[in-house]
Amino acid sequence: MEQRLANTWRMTINEKKFIETSLLSDLRVDGRHPFDYRRLTINFGREDGSSEVHLGQTRVMGVVTSQLVQPYRDRPNEGTLSVYTELSPMADPSFEAGRPGESAVELGRIIDRGLRESRAVDTESLCVVAGKVVWSIHIDIHILDNGGNLVDAANIAALAALSTFRRPECTLGGEDGQEVIVHPPEVREPVPLIIHHLPVAVTFGFIGKENIVVIDPTHFEEAVMGGSMTATLNTNEDVCAIQKAGGVGVLPSVIMQCLRVASVKAGDITSKIKSAVESFNTERSLRKIKRHTSSDVVDVSETAQKIDIEFSTNRMDRLKLLSEDRRVAQSNDMEVDCQISLEKGINKRYGDAKSFSGGPSSWDPYSKGVDPDALRASLASRAVIAPTKKLEDSKVDQPIDKERKQPITEDNSYVSPNEVTNTILQTNGEKTLIDAIKPKHRRRKKASSQQ
Amino acid sequence: MEVAKPANYSTSYIDKPVVPGDVVLDLSSMSNQTIKLGGGLRQDCDSITAMKAGMLRFSKPNKYWIESSQKRYVPSAGDTILGIMVDSKADNFLVDIKGPALAFLPVLAFEGGTRRNIPKFEVGTLIYVRVVKANVGMNPELACMDASGKAAEFGPLKDGYMFESSTGLSRMLLSSPACPVLETLGKKLSFEIAVGLNGRVWVNAASPSTVVLVSNAIMNSETLTGVQQKLMVDKLLQRTQ
Repeated sequence: MEQRLANTWRMTINEKKFIETSLLSDLRVDGRHPFDYRRLTINFGREDGSSEVHLGQTRVMGVVTSQLVQPYRDRPNEGTLSVYTELSPMADPSFEAGRPGESAVELGRIIDRGLRESRAVDTESLCVVAGKVVWSIHIDIHILDNGGNLVDAANIAALAALSTFRRPECTLGGEDGQEVIVHPPEVREPVPLIIHHLPVAVTFGFIGKENIVVIDPTHFEEAVMGGSMTATLNTNEDVCAIQKAGGVGVLPSVIMQCLRVASVKAGDITSKIKSAVESFNTERSLRKIKRHTSSDVVDVSETAQKIDIEFSTNRMDRLKLLSEDRRVAQSNDMEVDCQISLEKGINKRYGDAKSFSGGPSSWDPYSKGVDPDALRASLASRAVIAPTKKLEDSKVDQPIDKERKQPITEDNSYVSPNEVTNTILQTNGEKTLIDAIKPKHRRRKKASSQQ
Repeated sequence: MEVAKPANYSTSYIDKPVVPGDVVLDLSSMSNQTIKLGGGLRQDCDSITAMKAGMLRFSKPNKYWIESSQKRYVPSAGDTILGIMVDSKADNFLVDIKGPALAFLPVLAFEGGTRRNIPKFEVGTLIYVRVVKANVGMNPELACMDASGKAAEFGPLKDGYMFESSTGLSRMLLSSPACPVLETLGKKLSFEIAVGLNGRVWVNAASPSTVVLVSNAIMNSETLTGVQQKLMVDKLLQRTQ
């Protein structure tokens, strides 16, 4: 008890009085004017989806992680988004360790509301299998130092972390085609989240008898102020959320004025976040290139050897099969295909590093504007139609190109062997070497084409 | 067995960095002297050892202490500090001094203090006090008068603005050739200042803008050298004028 009493932060009467009197002459204790924002810096960690925001003395860390979960029953085809806040006693002695306090909960709720209500993050793109498996995005906010205005800093940290987060690529596969395969980042380039806009929170404090409005209050001002208002806006000047705390009454005209100021500040902050994210992304891609050239030299030679061996045995098998089938045309096709892949295997050492680093990182599956309905339709058709399903499975592994997939699923009544080989050839064009030579798939394909 | 120690053992350590465990003084060689120990030093029989990392300082005639910069204050007797009134009891006022425990300020520890005229302080009042006792395991004891029983400058501070910094900054502000920040500021502006060794600084001036300027200049000066401090203050003054 005694210990805690000595450790709590106290404010003198002098400070309280001075903050109010100096505000009467439009001056704040840190030398700012009432509508000046503090200096904002955004840093990123080495991992994707972690950010650290400095707002004056305030320091906040945001970390985004993802997990595969079952969706909510009322929203079977939407991923989930959740915000967790942690206010450690290290940041401010008034915070207690253990259960999140009232302020931690409020902080989390404001950020959550800003992101959720405005649908800033596209949750439908987080769906893997409707009603079964979706991605759940966790945003963890750690307050490292409390210098006031935690809401804005935490919100910026969350946005910055979300903008740099990449979830692992996952595909459907396995025996029944319903098994979800999560590809490690070394195999497939992780996918960034789809963020439609950045809802930026801007907090105002109302201080003194005259209710003088100040933007971005410090923790000294927070201790004095009668109430606060947080407006969450984006660059389109949409108000995503408003939170008004404290008992003080505010005139509608003042609120309108605050919103106008907030929209300007939101624009500034958004551009700052975007430029920070951009520089992070360029640095990231540079790092990627470096990593592959240095580490893969050892790796590739080994795997390439293995693949070569696999390849030769595969080829023999296939040739045997083909000769039994006496499909001359197809065997020719396959021969060519095989040779192409073999060549690739030989060139792998030089070619693969390039394709690895450059290709997938710039590739965005959703940039074409995938219609969720079309996606659902294709998912449904896959579930119903058995014979084509297997064929598709082999293709799901490959970057999904909706336009091409749709026609094939439609004329499912008859698939000519020629077409099969064509599609395989096509897919091989874009597939990596490892995908191209899955012996199991090949054989199954053969079986289906023989029918 | 014992290695012969150099005679001027202490001088070699003064104004040099020391770390906990360093034996900075050997009392056996200076038996006829009385010395005062400040913060960060302790006596083990005949040797004085350092308890924290920092610079060993010596002030004439006989005071030694270790200077370092920290946000928390470890009370040591004789320091002048700024405290915040937390509570008042029958015999003591409870004062927050940024230390590990609340300090006691006896109600009689004022100039001419009797049971009849006990001063009244509102919770949150800022007072300039002196540490009288700082023993381990006990709450430190304060007094609002100097050793001779005079009020001196001690007592409550009205108006103005108080900010908290580190103990190192307070020492710097109190160093005897006036520190460059205060010197440069003092040439252009007139203000009152009270510096507590516990890292609290109080500033008062006629206009709030002066207070804000002075306090920010001081807060910015912690990591700057003398020349940089002067430049920074000049820049600040130019911007406001």
